[in-house]
Amino acid sequence: MKFWLGRTGSILLAFALCAGIQLLADQQSDFVQRLIVLAGLYVTLAVSLNLINGITGQFSMGHAAFYQIGAYTAGFIAMKFYAGAKLPPELWMILSLLTGAAVASVAGLIVGLPSLRLKGDYLAIVTLGFGEIIRIIVQNQPAIGGAYGLSVAPRFEMIWLVWLLAILCIAVCRNLLKTAHGLQFLAVREDEVASSAMGVNVTRTKVTAFLLGSAFAGAAGALLAHFEGFVSPKMFTMDVSFIIVTMVVLGGTGSITGATLAAIGLFFLPEKMRDLPNFPLGNLVATGIGIVIMVIGFRHIAANFHGKMVERVLRYLAILAIAVVIALVLGPIVSKLPTLGVPVEGAKLRMVVFAVTLIVLMLLRPQGIFAHHEFSWAWLRKVLRIDTDKKVTA
Amino acid sequence: MSVCLKLTEATIKFGGLVAVNKVSFELKQGDLFGLIGPNGAGKTTCFNIITGVYKPTSGEIEFNGKLIGGTPSNKIANLGIARTFQNIRLFKSLTVIENVVVGGFLRHKTGLFGAMAYLPAQIRETEKLRAEAMELLKIVDLADMASARSADLSYGMQRRLEIARALATQPKLLLLDEPAAGMNPQEKEELNVMVRRIRDQFQLTVLLIEHDMRFVMSLCERILVLDAGTEIASGPPDAIRNDPKVIAAYLGQPA
Ligand SMILES: Nc1ncnc2c1ncn2[C@@H]1O[C@H](COP(=O)(O)OP(=O)(O)O)[C@@H](O)[C@H]1O
Ligand SMILES: [Mg+2]
Repeated sequence: MKFWLGRTGSILLAFALCAGIQLLADQQSDFVQRLIVLAGLYVTLAVSLNLINGITGQFSMGHAAFYQIGAYTAGFIAMKFYAGAKLPPELWMILSLLTGAAVASVAGLIVGLPSLRLKGDYLAIVTLGFGEIIRIIVQNQPAIGGAYGLSVAPRFEMIWLVWLLAILCIAVCRNLLKTAHGLQFLAVREDEVASSAMGVNVTRTKVTAFLLGSAFAGAAGALLAHFEGFVSPKMFTMDVSFIIVTMVVLGGTGSITGATLAAIGLFFLPEKMRDLPNFPLGNLVATGIGIVIMVIGFRHIAANFHGKMVERVLRYLAILAIAVVIALVLGPIVSKLPTLGVPVEGAKLRMVVFAVTLIVLMLLRPQGIFAHHEFSWAWLRKVLRIDTDKKVTA
Repeated sequence: MSVCLKLTEATIKFGGLVAVNKVSFELKQGDLFGLIGPNGAGKTTCFNIITGVYKPTSGEIEFNGKLIGGTPSNKIANLGIARTFQNIRLFKSLTVIENVVVGGFLRHKTGLFGAMAYLPAQIRETEKLRAEAMELLKIVDLADMASARSADLSYGMQRRLEIARALATQPKLLLLDEPAAGMNPQEKEELNVMVRRIRDQFQLTVLLIEHDMRFVMSLCERILVLDAGTEIASGPPDAIRNDPKVIAAYLGQPA
């Protein structure tokens, strides 16, 4: 009884949250609404890929393909049946989402099968190839618009549903990991031989991960199709898969919290950079030098200093301050040089910043920001505790 | 006592190498049986064909009256054979107790969809598996390390954790691959007592590979000696200790 009360409460809370997002978004410009929708879809994509890559350890690089399959399925059934079905938009959208998920998960099954034989890099290459094959096949089908694309009618702006899907995806993964069922996915990631010696059906576990992960990506695709009112193969190129993988790796492979936050962060970071002003090239060079100093300093501290957490943080801050000061002072000076005085368009730097952030993070924290951790109040307490024996003591 | 495990001329070849060559032996229920031999003799490979990691090239493996040669590993575990690994294979980033819960998972009865919804049945089952895991951790003396990451344990502790994880599958036959390797004399002594105790408590049959002669001789009731994939001797510890062929195999001299 208490359980069901709590459960109903959390479900109502999720709906309320989504309704709140919808209300907030309604007052924004079309541009901002689109960002809110895409951010939600990327959260779903990253968290669902994390189930395959991070939690089950099957390095898949073709997630955009499932996204695309969901999107085209939704577009196709809308074209064929929407006019005749006469369903309320919400109901249609939910049906379309389920269909997109189902078709994408069939594809997930097909891609999951090689994962039974291939490991690591080889699986990455096969899934990457699969993504491209799907895109090229679609591009050559005139019946669904070919390279030109397919318009999807009607357009729905159900921002609440986008975020509801994201919350559902997070909840499913989180729940799974709280039960013994979830541990078998982690066990497969850690050691397949030992897992099967303990009676875990490795084949079934991997295929389940692919089925679930691709179903969520397919559902996200269905939402994208109806939000944009248009789908084309260009929306699902390799970079989309790369960005999703990046979100998972950066967040910390296996961490749902990490994947969620990295998805939101990596999505908004480049968008924010559109407004950067122009500045001389010298500043850029100085910033680069500052970053190098920061990376070297941080790594030095991480390797050599094992004292109290407070003292360590102070050292990190000191290095950061030095790096910032050097960059700020050096910038105007080197910009006096004729070759370094030329102006750079800030907005064009988006992708560079993206890449540099990645490199720096991988140098400083290869296990990803959250590593294997999940957000929980207990975890927060442990992190904030001032003593710092790095080894687990009990 | 009924026969638990029976190998009949079990053989496996890797290319030209005959790693296990027509090995036959029989374990009765409750036996504490030792498998010894110099490095590369084929002992671990024997475990691998019993547990379905490899399919034997020829010969028969019978467990509780059922032919199991070539059955997949996870099915073998479900039939009641559990093992530990010579080169420790824990789920490193999982905690100590989670490692043991994975071992117990093959007895789960609730469905995956319920787990995704985190329903009461799944919560209860997980709690039950954790409680059972905790009991096993007490037996191998790791209860106070339950929430440590398994990779952070000492070598000896990791070996004991592997035993607890294997016990969680509730096996009838337990295969231990060099369980005392890397342990100090005191840890070995404790392990010796522990293996006997768990054999009696869980009514297990134990097949054990070990390099430390004193350890095997004091623990096992019968021993089989392999050299280059072939059986060279078998019998009670006293007979093995004085067998010239065994002495020659260990000292590297022709018999
Ligand atoms: N998968 C394999 N492929 C090829 N050779 C193997 C394989 N597994 C074991 N061997 C070989 O079989 C022989 C026996 O190995 P093993 O059973 O590990 O010996 P040990 O008695 O020391 O446990 C060794 O020569 C080893 O190299
Ligand atoms: Mg061996």
